[in-house]
Amino acid sequence: MATRKKVLLKVIILGDSGVGKTSLMNQYVNKKFSNQYKATIGADFLTKEVIVDDRIVTLQIWDTAGQERFQSLGVAFYRGADCCVLVFDVTAPNTFKSLDSWRDEFLIQASPREPTDFPFVLLGNKVDLEPRAISTKRAQQWCLSKNNIPYFETSAKEALNVEQAFQSIARNALTQQSQSVDLYNEFPDQIKLTNTTNRNSNGDSCAC
Amino acid sequence: MEYDLPSDFDIIVVGTGMVESIVAAAASRIGKRVLHIDSNHYYGGLWASFNLDSINKIGEDGHTQEVVESNTENELIYSVGNNAFNLLVHSQTWNIPESNPEKDVDESDSNSVQQEYKWTQEKLLKISRKFNIDLAPKLHFAKGDFVELLISSNIARYSEFRSVSRILTWLNGTLELVPCSRSDVFSSNRVSVIEKRMLMKLLTSCVDGDENEFKGYENKTFQTYLKDRKLTENLIHYVLYAIAMCKDDTLCLEGVERTKRFLGSLGRFGKTPFLYSMYGSGEITQAFCRLSAVFGGIYALNQPLNGFIYDNDNNFKGLICGKQRINAKHLVMSLEKLPKDVVDFSTTEYISRAIFITDKSIMEDEKEHLTLLLFPPIDEKTSCVILELGSLTGTCPKGLYIVHMFTKQTVNPEEDLNHCVNKLFHKSERESNSPPIILWSLYFSVPNTFAQDVKCKKLLNTYVCPGPDLDLDYDPAIQKAKEIFESIYSNSDFLPRAPDPEEIIIEGEDNNNIINDREDEGHGDVNPEVAQPNNTA
Repeated sequence: MATRKKVLLKVIILGDSGVGKTSLMNQYVNKKFSNQYKATIGADFLTKEVIVDDRIVTLQIWDTAGQERFQSLGVAFYRGADCCVLVFDVTAPNTFKSLDSWRDEFLIQASPREPTDFPFVLLGNKVDLEPRAISTKRAQQWCLSKNNIPYFETSAKEALNVEQAFQSIARNALTQQSQSVDLYNEFPDQIKLTNTTNRNSNGDSCAC
Repeated sequence: MEYDLPSDFDIIVVGTGMVESIVAAAASRIGKRVLHIDSNHYYGGLWASFNLDSINKIGEDGHTQEVVESNTENELIYSVGNNAFNLLVHSQTWNIPESNPEKDVDESDSNSVQQEYKWTQEKLLKISRKFNIDLAPKLHFAKGDFVELLISSNIARYSEFRSVSRILTWLNGTLELVPCSRSDVFSSNRVSVIEKRMLMKLLTSCVDGDENEFKGYENKTFQTYLKDRKLTENLIHYVLYAIAMCKDDTLCLEGVERTKRFLGSLGRFGKTPFLYSMYGSGEITQAFCRLSAVFGGIYALNQPLNGFIYDNDNNFKGLICGKQRINAKHLVMSLEKLPKDVVDFSTTEYISRAIFITDKSIMEDEKEHLTLLLFPPIDEKTSCVILELGSLTGTCPKGLYIVHMFTKQTVNPEEDLNHCVNKLFHKSERESNSPPIILWSLYFSVPNTFAQDVKCKKLLNTYVCPGPDLDLDYDPAIQKAKEIFESIYSNSDFLPRAPDPEEIIIEGEDNNNIINDREDEGHGDVNPEVAQPNNTA
């Protein structure tokens, strides 16, 4: 493709219930924080335009919508992800222990073309809270053992490191997409059924 | 399990098939507290899509689960599930070797050149997850009820589609492209100039014709009408079997309606009126479940379902899930979850289905096609629908095709479909110009429960959802889901437009409402009921 298409990157956020997945995306996109939502209601996906290396890209950040709570995320949720953000709560050791299974689950369900190179980013959330259960070093070691995943310690509540983390997420997602799109362009001419768009946007409609 | 499920709901939906998922989404959407639960570890039930590894295992697991609690003085416990509506696997066959033999390094054996197979079972199973194989493949009319519902409810944002790129039929012993759009008709070299005019005139009168056009045809067949219009044999074939998808005895007015349904969906998204869901039809139930979850529905797959609780008057009270008791006012469930001791009807009609993995298209072309082949009734067999999906649909690896075939069952799946299979495929390797080879096949039947009354009169506040049907699209499923929804919540909107993600504001600490619709921006149709108490039930 000669012209550069507008870039849309799908990012999905995974981790145990209550680690702050919805809060992180809400803080990043809406600059808001709430102690209210125990389980996710109403959070779907949020979009935000960011600039990465002089390119405007649209991040589409998908929440689990609470379906992770009873391990009921369907395979459809994972389709076409460009980056997977893993989140744990630095004060809750169990949420750290779950990271391996979330990562495995992603790799199985999304089955990316290059599992070893697929971009993950790890966020240790709630650093504003005490007592701390998982040290920075321990989290970094885990990241190192998984092909050097970038790691950020965040507080969605205090808006600490959230911007930086998502900047890195965008950059990693973009790398993934530009590789795969240029090499394969796996599924061209997909149709989205939104009201306004694509009356003429598919390749098969040429009537000549 | 790490968490307990909440113990009180407005409605429990058991099973994640199409009808159940639409009802769950509609109920969550108006603010009802919904538990959507399934004993399977996957979404979709009989409407699911599977990878190659797991579809080879379908039909292995039983559906009934044991009751853990005994009846009490005031309550009856019914077991969950029955075996009256199971999918029946007829045969499952590999036509390729398990693996390629180890390379023989022994020099002395060099005169026996070993054949290297392009595809082996081992190779295909290794990329098992590249397959998404539908139990109930569906196409969508571009202006049909399903597409309109997806758009009007804003569920469309969870799915992507491809358009069917050609429609074929079987005519005079070969595959023929069906001219279905105006440009197709005019560019076709199979249709003479006179025929072109006749066809355009006929199609126009089907769409715009007044009552007089069909006067006197009320009790006559569509075929008779087409003959009376002096259409040639070929044109009658195209219109009757492909465009209108009729049988010989379909009545005229129904044929006209079916022609309208087809023509009305032309020109919106592609050359043909049809769309197919990327990654398989099983994605669609998950899109409805996602909407339900976004609006607060609780999702729990892979759950032990140990009993339905009813009071002595047969009012639904709750569900036993493992050691938990979960109460709710209403129960919606898929047919196969009905307690076996209350099932007072059985399947009267089956759908014969076949699925193949093949090594090339039934009609090769420069580009990959998504093909619908409407196989007319011949040799005293009923007509068959055949769908060929390539790798661009995300349902199979590059270089291979998935073929779905189905028809109303008369004998058994192989008997009912083999006349098509023999004309289109080979089962072993031949010359390069030969038809596609079937590498793997699965024949099975599913009960067509849409055709019968599946109400369970004995159990109150209980609604039963039928399984997959023969319709190309989801129209009957949507209709059924709407009926169930309206009989529970008679005064509520059925799946009104969901707000866009940006319209949902997740509120700050000082506000008790989790969802706050932004009314000041003029989104008047954003549902105001979301955070309201529910008392329509």
